[in-house]
Amino acid sequence: MSFNRRDLIKGAGVAAGAAALGTSAVAQAAPLQVGFIYVGPVGDFGWSTMHDIGRKRLEEVMGAQVKTTPVESVAANDMERVATQLARQGHRLIFTTSFSFFQATMRVAPTLPQTFFESATGTATAPNVSLYNARFYEGRYVQGVIAARKSKSKTIGYIASFPVPEVMHAINTVMRGAWSVDPSMKIRVVWVNAWFNPGREADAARALIDQGCDVICQHTDSPAPLQLANERGVFGFGQASDMTKFAPRAHLTSSVNNWGDYYVERARAVINGTWKPGDVWGGLGSGLFRLAPFTNMTPEEASEAQKIAEALGSGKLNPFDGPIVRADGTEVIGAGGRLTDDQIRSMNYFYRGVDVAVPG
Amino acid sequence: MTLLEAILLTVITASTPLVIAAIGELVVERAGVVNLGVEGMMIMGAACGFAAAIMTGSTFIGVLAGVGAGVAMSLIFALLALGLAANQIASGLALTIFGLGLSGLVGASFIGAKREAMPKLDVPVLTDLPFVGPVVFGQDPFVYISVLLVVSVWWFLTRTRAGLVLRACGENHTSAHALGYRVLRIRLFAVMFGGGCAGLAGAYLSLAYTPFWSPGMTAGRGWIALAIVVFASWLPWRLLMGAYLFGGITILQLHAQGMGVRIPSQLLSALPYLVTIVALVVISRRRSGWNAAPGALGKPFSRDY
Amino acid sequence: MRLVIARRQDVPGWLKLVSPLYAIALTLLSGAAMFAALGVSPTTGLYTYFVSPLTDAWALQEVAVKATPLVLIAVGLSLCYLSDNWNIGAEGQLVIGAVFGAAVAVATHGAPNGPWVLPAMIVAGMVGGALFAMIPAILKTRFQANEILTSLMLVYVAELLLDWLVRGPWRDPHGFNFPQTVMFEPEAQMTRLMDVGRLNISAPLALLVVAVAAILLARTLKGFEIRVVGEAPRAARFAGWDPRTLTWTVFAISGALAGLAGVVEASGTLGQLQPNISPGYGFTAIIVAFLGRLNPIGCLAAAIFLAVTFIGGENAQIALRLPLDVTRVFQGMLLFYILACDAVIAFRFTIVRGDASGATA
Repeated sequence: MSFNRRDLIKGAGVAAGAAALGTSAVAQAAPLQVGFIYVGPVGDFGWSTMHDIGRKRLEEVMGAQVKTTPVESVAANDMERVATQLARQGHRLIFTTSFSFFQATMRVAPTLPQTFFESATGTATAPNVSLYNARFYEGRYVQGVIAARKSKSKTIGYIASFPVPEVMHAINTVMRGAWSVDPSMKIRVVWVNAWFNPGREADAARALIDQGCDVICQHTDSPAPLQLANERGVFGFGQASDMTKFAPRAHLTSSVNNWGDYYVERARAVINGTWKPGDVWGGLGSGLFRLAPFTNMTPEEASEAQKIAEALGSGKLNPFDGPIVRADGTEVIGAGGRLTDDQIRSMNYFYRGVDVAVPG
Repeated sequence: MTLLEAILLTVITASTPLVIAAIGELVVERAGVVNLGVEGMMIMGAACGFAAAIMTGSTFIGVLAGVGAGVAMSLIFALLALGLAANQIASGLALTIFGLGLSGLVGASFIGAKREAMPKLDVPVLTDLPFVGPVVFGQDPFVYISVLLVVSVWWFLTRTRAGLVLRACGENHTSAHALGYRVLRIRLFAVMFGGGCAGLAGAYLSLAYTPFWSPGMTAGRGWIALAIVVFASWLPWRLLMGAYLFGGITILQLHAQGMGVRIPSQLLSALPYLVTIVALVVISRRRSGWNAAPGALGKPFSRDY
Repeated sequence: MRLVIARRQDVPGWLKLVSPLYAIALTLLSGAAMFAALGVSPTTGLYTYFVSPLTDAWALQEVAVKATPLVLIAVGLSLCYLSDNWNIGAEGQLVIGAVFGAAVAVATHGAPNGPWVLPAMIVAGMVGGALFAMIPAILKTRFQANEILTSLMLVYVAELLLDWLVRGPWRDPHGFNFPQTVMFEPEAQMTRLMDVGRLNISAPLALLVVAVAAILLARTLKGFEIRVVGEAPRAARFAGWDPRTLTWTVFAISGALAGLAGVVEASGTLGQLQPNISPGYGFTAIIVAFLGRLNPIGCLAAAIFLAVTFIGGENAQIALRLPLDVTRVFQGMLLFYILACDAVIAFRFTIVRGDASGATA
């Protein structure tokens, strides 16, 4: 077979040109190598697991066009080496999936100009560094609405990880949603100082339930709080993945991260030579995350939640419309105003009525 | 159920894995051996316990598998630290690294699997008693096992001949050997008991406390158990107190946060550690100068010393 | 016929050299078996773990970067352990060292400053680490509080203090309120030694520390004191040495070295403070200290060796798609072998024919 083809090429008398064509065709057929650097173990149930599911989705959709490499539990101290090693092994697209990698990504990117980086959250872009994240707060607003409908004690319990803007604006938005139904809603917050620590998350859920909270929101990754809500007969929401099965009686909905489609889009862009640095921050309308099917809700409650989710997705409803007043009484913006993305991303205060101490 | 009852109930559950793992290590150390691999044995107990429970559908078999995994891990340690008289500190640390990795491999296919939590005891009438009911008669079986373990270890160490021999090995293995006791064999049993307890504590985490498997789910509890043994100055009753103190502060700080106490959450989170240090200083001070550690702790023994 | 195991009175020097070779041979064998079981060619697997991190100048620099904090901490811990002081809280001392060093960098940020900033950070970090290590030392000498517990508990306290600082007072005002300090000015970052690669002045600094510690231990009275107190505490008391002063000294030294490692990570590797600044170097260094037989030069060799396996594990994830857990299992096995072989050489194995009764050795 190969003999024949070689003969043919010889016969055509364009050996040199064809050979060049041949190698370039081979180069194009070689799969695009895509690296994924995770901050936690692949099996952390939450953040890293969902990025890894996105990676698998990328392989599934693109087939032989891509080859992916995950590296798990990487410390920020080691990020530059792992990224360089990936690039040296031929990876041209690298997703650095944690904010703790951001500064290291910005340092290493200029030394690897042939490699495109995608940082999940960050504060700036570079010629070969893009940012991407999802507007998870839109899901929090829906959670607030549902919680207000479900709660008898009118108190939401919130298991918070760390006092970063992402968590603080989520707490504010849950309450925004809750107040839209019932302005007397209250919230209790416990900071567990971890993204993932099943035992401590469960303890925090116990403490909140013991203090009278009957709907639990969690900003941590394990199913432990939801399981505990199930055991104690209160309600809860899943985080990162669809956690229905962990709490058949307690689960209301989950906010499900969905990075796969974005990964496909970015890998295609590299293959087509159209990759450009960008700053993607997509909400419910973007598909970067979705809400798991509503469970344990009446049809009326579910359809209300669905309508609100759609309004948020289409942009008709914005949780950051004014007036917004801080807990200390200062007005951030008046009626008719709207917070900018940068104001949302850097939020380090609670709204008036969110009676929670700001840690740190 | 009042808030106080609820808090007590939670404190007891949160402290139980610490009690179980620590009482095992206490016996190990009373025999003169330091096994720093508690975290590694515990997480193997969690992984194997959960895996076996899922495969067989039986919580009981899960618990047995957890204990078995802990014992198996402790045998590796025993081979090195007792059989070959290798450095105990380093052997224990290596065991932790090994256990964290192996548990990840064992548990990999069980991530996302779910089980019902082990049911809590429900004695008619008794559990409904005010206050004492839920706290004393409404716990899961592990809680009673943990208390039973502490009582048994106390009884064994102070009231039995075998316990006396074990302590003799821990205090001065040369004399114990000279008296004709088989130091290495006794230490081997102690190490295996410690491994079994650590495995049981791990199984408690993955079968009752937070009934699912995830890598690294012990989250440092093995280290805290080690610290509690020291805190208890190697006394079983004080160990129970130490574990409940640590668990108590951990839970109370969560309640303080939920109630909106305006103290940085980091300071509240640091409280269990700070209080443990202060309590230890107070206890040690009263002892003034008396060193409670077993005399031969951490020193390798070989027959022809 | 039975096997009799007897402890050797003196371990011959050649055996001490041969022991690591035994360990390596065993590791290679079981590693090869493990790779074959996982469907990876044994030669490729072993090459990836042990050779690929050493193949070119860039990779070698990375080994140095990874080994430096381990060496620094392990040397200090060796002094502690030799003298029977069980400091296992080096991780916390590292964190506090980084905090003290960063205090200088944050305070001078944006102000006109000169080449004195980095030395000042190093000194501040060492002072910070030493002061933090003095807490368990003083609790031990003054109140007989067990240092294993206090130094371990203080690790968590130090980490939470760092967490509070980077989320509160030291948060970068222009960093969208993310938990991080400003990026340090170039004067506040460890000077890099090569055009390409991360090797910085901390590596030669670590070599200097090893040399000084080796001389201190082998050639000075203080070193003699440290060894005697650990081996024969009664003899030390007869010699009139005060064990309390020695406890303070070794804790201060090891705290200072861990603090230096903290400055190295904050200023050399990360260029800022974040909530997590160490992937457990303070704990890994305990293993390094024991693998290095509590000898500074041994610590150097052990740190390089462990650094190679860490990087080899990363490379195995990248090149062979082996999960991290395989690396951990492999590392654990490797440590078992090294410990076992170290111990085995201390014994003589002989096969005795005939009756089993009689003397045990």
